[in-house]
Amino acid sequence: MRLALRLPALLAGILCTASLCCMLAGCATPPPASDPDAVADFRETNDPLEPTNRVFYTINNGIDTAILRPAAQAYRYAVPEPVRNGVHNILNNLGTPVQLGNDMLEGKPRRAGDTYMRFLINTTVGVLGFFDVAKRWGYPNHDSDFGITMALWGVPEGPFLFLPVLGPSDPRDAAGFGVDIAADPFTWVGRGAAVKGLDWSRFALNAVDQRERALDAIDSIKKTALDPYATFRSLYRQHRESQIEAVRNDNRATIPVWFPRTASTDR
Amino acid sequence: MPNRRTFLTIAGTLLLTGGMARHASAETAEERAAAFVRATGDRLVAVVNGPGTTLEKRKAMTDVINSTVDVNGVARFCLGRFWRQASPEQQEHYLNLFHQVLVTSITSKIGEYKGVRITIGKAQMRDEEAWVSSVVERPNNPPTNVDWVISKPGTDPRIVDVVAEGTSMRLTQRSDYASYLAHNNNDIDSLISAMRQQVAQAS
Repeated sequence: MRLALRLPALLAGILCTASLCCMLAGCATPPPASDPDAVADFRETNDPLEPTNRVFYTINNGIDTAILRPAAQAYRYAVPEPVRNGVHNILNNLGTPVQLGNDMLEGKPRRAGDTYMRFLINTTVGVLGFFDVAKRWGYPNHDSDFGITMALWGVPEGPFLFLPVLGPSDPRDAAGFGVDIAADPFTWVGRGAAVKGLDWSRFALNAVDQRERALDAIDSIKKTALDPYATFRSLYRQHRESQIEAVRNDNRATIPVWFPRTASTDR
Repeated sequence: MPNRRTFLTIAGTLLLTGGMARHASAETAEERAAAFVRATGDRLVAVVNGPGTTLEKRKAMTDVINSTVDVNGVARFCLGRFWRQASPEQQEHYLNLFHQVLVTSITSKIGEYKGVRITIGKAQMRDEEAWVSSVVERPNNPPTNVDWVISKPGTDPRIVDVVAEGTSMRLTQRSDYASYLAHNNNDIDSLISAMRQQVAQAS
């Protein structure tokens, strides 16, 4: 078998398996209608697939304990912080094409402009993205992905999902994740084994980088939460909600700084 | 006409000071909240980065928490609808344990927070509470945007929530307890015993 397995194909496979498992395994039983408070809680939790989700949580937790967490710890131990930050910046820079596309689809020209300038500055002055020079020059990074884009388009998030490997999600974010991968030019560039290898290293490095940045937070949640699964569910939703609101509320004007301002265009 | 001039001066002064006072009080809620958070942050940073044994630091940290956080208010919020269902005895046990859980979960991390820096940003009112933004930086971790939610900022400022990167501590804690209760027949006593175990493990 050739090593021609495509990243999107694999991820589509994961998602299909996940949804299949959800259909096969049971759903959460809603509380009896005689207890309106409990019913309200059940609706608010919005996790009808909870039993299945918890199975995947346990599996992911095992994978994390066995592979990802030790890898992240080794990465933190072996690589000094400035280099880790540089690697993080390079990975961010590789993500800018998709980010730019989403900024535009979200109808946020100023954010698209920021992303564009970040790519130009960091790829050149920032040595292929290693140094985040653009941030110092007034173009800070921001979150942008197709899940956020769809949220701004009014697509509902749907019930909570805990996906194998990928972790906490919902149908909107899972679909958005797939679209972002499909939309990434690096997914389609080149066909040689070397390019595939680079693709996979980027994927793996991204996972280790993200995990390393969350080491302390996840450790402390697992230590202090009575129900870590419910805590991660709540944290994931709140975090996504705040990312979406940040985009929604970014209504900076597109008028250039040198343009004479009137009172009405000041904001 | 000295009388009239005096009258005008007094009236003018009154108007002016009245206006200033009104202006000042309109600003103070946010400013006071920001000043309160700045002072609290300075105290926390001083304890974490200061000298002393871990035990002394924990003691000092507990004092800071007790004097700046509305622990009972947060505790009631975190129990949600179950607060009303709990018996007075259960409420008392719960409040007591919540206080211990909060203090131990914060003080047990003192070591990890060494070298922490807090930069206070803007403050704004949302309903009755003031939200003070800040950036918390500590070694080995990316900078985090943290909002401090302050109740009664004008009169008796108290921390009622800490929101890190858009995630509220009290909301997260409430969903943790709610889920635990949902999986344990909504039995408040089992939550209390779980919390008791937590405290025993931590200390």
